[in-house]
Amino acid sequence: MLELIHFNILSVLLFSVGLYGVLARKSAILIIMAIELMLNAVNINFIAAAAFKHGGGLFTNFDGHILTIFIITIAAAEVGLALALILRIFRNKSTVNVDQFDMMKL
Amino acid sequence: MHLVIFSVISAVLISCALGVVISRNIVHSALFLLFALISVAGIYLVLLTEFLAIVQLLIYGGAIVIVILFALMLTRNEEYPRIQNNKLWPIAGILSVLVLITLSVSYFQSDVIRSASTTISPAGVKSLGSSLFTTWAIPFELASLVLLVALIGAIVIARSDKDGN
Amino acid sequence: MQYFWLIPVISFIAFIITSLVGNKILKQAWIFPVVAIILGLGIYCFGLTEYLQSRFDLEHCVRSSVTGMVGCNYSVGWFSAGVTGKETVDSFLGFTVDPLSLSVAGLAIFVALMVQIYSIGYMKDDPRFGWYYSVQALFISSMILLALSDNFLLLYVAWELVGLCSYLLIGFWYEKPDAKEAAKKAFTVTRLGDVGLLIGILLIWIEVGSFNMSDLFSYVASGQMESWVIFSISGLLFLGAMGKSAQFPFHVWLPDAMEGPTPVSALIHAATMVAAGVYLVARTYPLFVESEAMMLIVSIIGLITAIGAALICCVSIDLKRALAYSTISHLGLMMLSLGAFGYTAAILHLLAHGFSKALLFLGSGNIMHSIDDLDINRMGGLKSVLPGTTILFCIGALSLAGIPLLSGFWSKDEVIVSIVHNRNILFAISSMILVFLSGFYMIRLIIIPFFGTQNRDYSNAHKLPMVMLIPMGVLAVFVVLFGWVALYMPGLPSSFGTFLFYSHPKNFHLEPDIASITLVVTLLSFGAGYLFYVKRISIFQTFKTRMKFLITIIENKYYFDELYQILVDKIVLPIASLVALFDRVLVNDIGINGPGHITRSIGSLIRYHVTGRIYVYLGLMTSGMIILGILWLWIVRL
Repeated sequence: MLELIHFNILSVLLFSVGLYGVLARKSAILIIMAIELMLNAVNINFIAAAAFKHGGGLFTNFDGHILTIFIITIAAAEVGLALALILRIFRNKSTVNVDQFDMMKL
Repeated sequence: MHLVIFSVISAVLISCALGVVISRNIVHSALFLLFALISVAGIYLVLLTEFLAIVQLLIYGGAIVIVILFALMLTRNEEYPRIQNNKLWPIAGILSVLVLITLSVSYFQSDVIRSASTTISPAGVKSLGSSLFTTWAIPFELASLVLLVALIGAIVIARSDKDGN
Repeated sequence: MQYFWLIPVISFIAFIITSLVGNKILKQAWIFPVVAIILGLGIYCFGLTEYLQSRFDLEHCVRSSVTGMVGCNYSVGWFSAGVTGKETVDSFLGFTVDPLSLSVAGLAIFVALMVQIYSIGYMKDDPRFGWYYSVQALFISSMILLALSDNFLLLYVAWELVGLCSYLLIGFWYEKPDAKEAAKKAFTVTRLGDVGLLIGILLIWIEVGSFNMSDLFSYVASGQMESWVIFSISGLLFLGAMGKSAQFPFHVWLPDAMEGPTPVSALIHAATMVAAGVYLVARTYPLFVESEAMMLIVSIIGLITAIGAALICCVSIDLKRALAYSTISHLGLMMLSLGAFGYTAAILHLLAHGFSKALLFLGSGNIMHSIDDLDINRMGGLKSVLPGTTILFCIGALSLAGIPLLSGFWSKDEVIVSIVHNRNILFAISSMILVFLSGFYMIRLIIIPFFGTQNRDYSNAHKLPMVMLIPMGVLAVFVVLFGWVALYMPGLPSSFGTFLFYSHPKNFHLEPDIASITLVVTLLSFGAGYLFYVKRISIFQTFKTRMKFLITIIENKYYFDELYQILVDKIVLPIASLVALFDRVLVNDIGINGPGHITRSIGSLIRYHVTGRIYVYLGLMTSGMIILGILWLWIVRL
């Protein structure tokens, strides 16, 4: 039978795949894609945690679902802003290669 | 039964996610992302939250991936280069494996998870809605504010200097 | 007598004043020191008459059970080191007035006065006239302090001050590189001895618990000190005395110290500072007599010094150097006398030698002033040019050579008597050899410069001012008269021996056999000198060629300077460079620069983590997260 731990493992797997993408990809847009993966992993975790709580019926706990709604909202806003920034940088440096974004080094 | 469906959907999800991070073609990555997000919506259905599944499809699949594709188009430099991994990718692999191991071990050790229930409680739209507009009303309003700020911010940041105002 | 402390204080004030305003009143800078000394002399004479008339202040004066003389002690608390209530080091500033300190202080004051007056003429044209007088004032102040002090701490302070003034005055003409080297040599060699003195004083404190000399003497008299402790402490104190009084092997600094002005040599290196070592041994005599071995060592070193220096003096060609070696020889004789239990004789000889040698040095100063040259082979027939100097010089020289009726005869005789009585036959024969040698070299020094054939033209010799001749005359009078003082001390029943003695008064009496042998030997030496240097008999030449090897060794001062140089080069400098290496590498490079270097290199390594690249930062954050997770699992869960 399905148990909470299955969803947890799935979420962790998805999260680490997303983490690999964030650390290993060269283009900034690919990094943003990987971030989306990580956020989705977290969403799965929250919903699973809320769904598998004791006490059903009237006493259902909806905290996880609500949190997920908010995360989706914020993720959308964030992607918009992030891509705007990337466009800005692209105009200055004509590349979105993260290797070349080292203007802040000592 | 549920287990089988869940396994299939999660297999699809993981492989698409791997496709996102491993693929050499950026557009392929974007498409893999789309399929991954759709699989996540499937997971939500397994978890008996239809509303969130729909929301997921609409927003992620309909808006975010589109925006990403637009960005890909606008930041095109040369014909998309073959290798997309940066210099540190072996270490990244090691780190993510370590994270995987650490988190899973800590999940396995956790008491809360062991003592969870085994039945999934569904989350209907009605109950979600009433909860959203009563208990969580203030964060809801704030979220709309965040969207407004993001909208304005994106316009301001991405505006070209030559256009003036 | 209770005003004796004013003597050093007045001179010290003169020192300060003269060093401050000396340059402004250059030609008259001699006023303050000379006035200070005259005042000091007045106080001294007053105190001396008080003592001689036995007008003792009973509160402070007591007849010491150890030395047998009456000593008056005036002291005031100085400082107390340590926590009050627990064991503290209490120091007192005090002075004692007893025959020993009276004698040495009197010698110092009197000769100092004569030398200061002489210097008015001798140093007249020197641009640093004021500085000369201020250092002289400081020297006199410290020498009186040394002679009067009653505790070892104060003695050590005065000891070091005297050494400092000697250094400053030897190197007075510091434009001459020889003078600089000589000053450094003097200071360093005496410093070697001073280490012994310091350790000795500290041992005294550890053993007795106080720096006071009378405490030490009562402690020794009560028999609580073990014999090896007595031997070590007296040995260490004797080391200090050896340094200051130029005994072998610490004698090398005194001949080179002649680079300083001649009045300096007369005062410091003939009469006073070099007498400080003899004074120290005499002052701590109760300690020395408890150790037979130490007395023997003192006598042996004194004997070696005396004969060795006398031999060198016989072949010296520089007048001042010859006088320096003669001083060393007589200091050795004083030490020999002290080691042979001739306490009175030694101090008597100290006084007689002080007056005579000062006179001789001032005489050589006259020669220097007139003809600017001290090589005796280039003088000759000076008696026609400097008649007064000739007479005065001869008085001093004959006194030291041992002509009867002059003070040197009586004191030398006393010394020989003590040696014969208290030491074995070897010592007696050696002292006869010494008598012969001292007569011989003195005659040589008289004959060659003054009575020999005239070698050069003296037409441009400078005239001698009166201010230089008068002090010499006064000294000469003292030289003549002091001998009678040895026989009959005014105010006392009998001779000097009833004034200054150890444990019981000694009446001076002439022992005819010893005195006659001494006289015969002296006359023999005069005859030899006459024959060798006036008649120039041929045996002299054969003697010189036969003994060429020995004479070369003697002329090179037994190669002592070369030995010391090798010692320094091979031992001292390598050790010093090792220590410098330790300081430079260990303390400086590793200890002080080390943390700075390490910080900087770690910093420059860590600097590279700020790459500016996002994935590096994210990787580091992830690693931190992993580590925290593992820690949480480990601590909380497992």
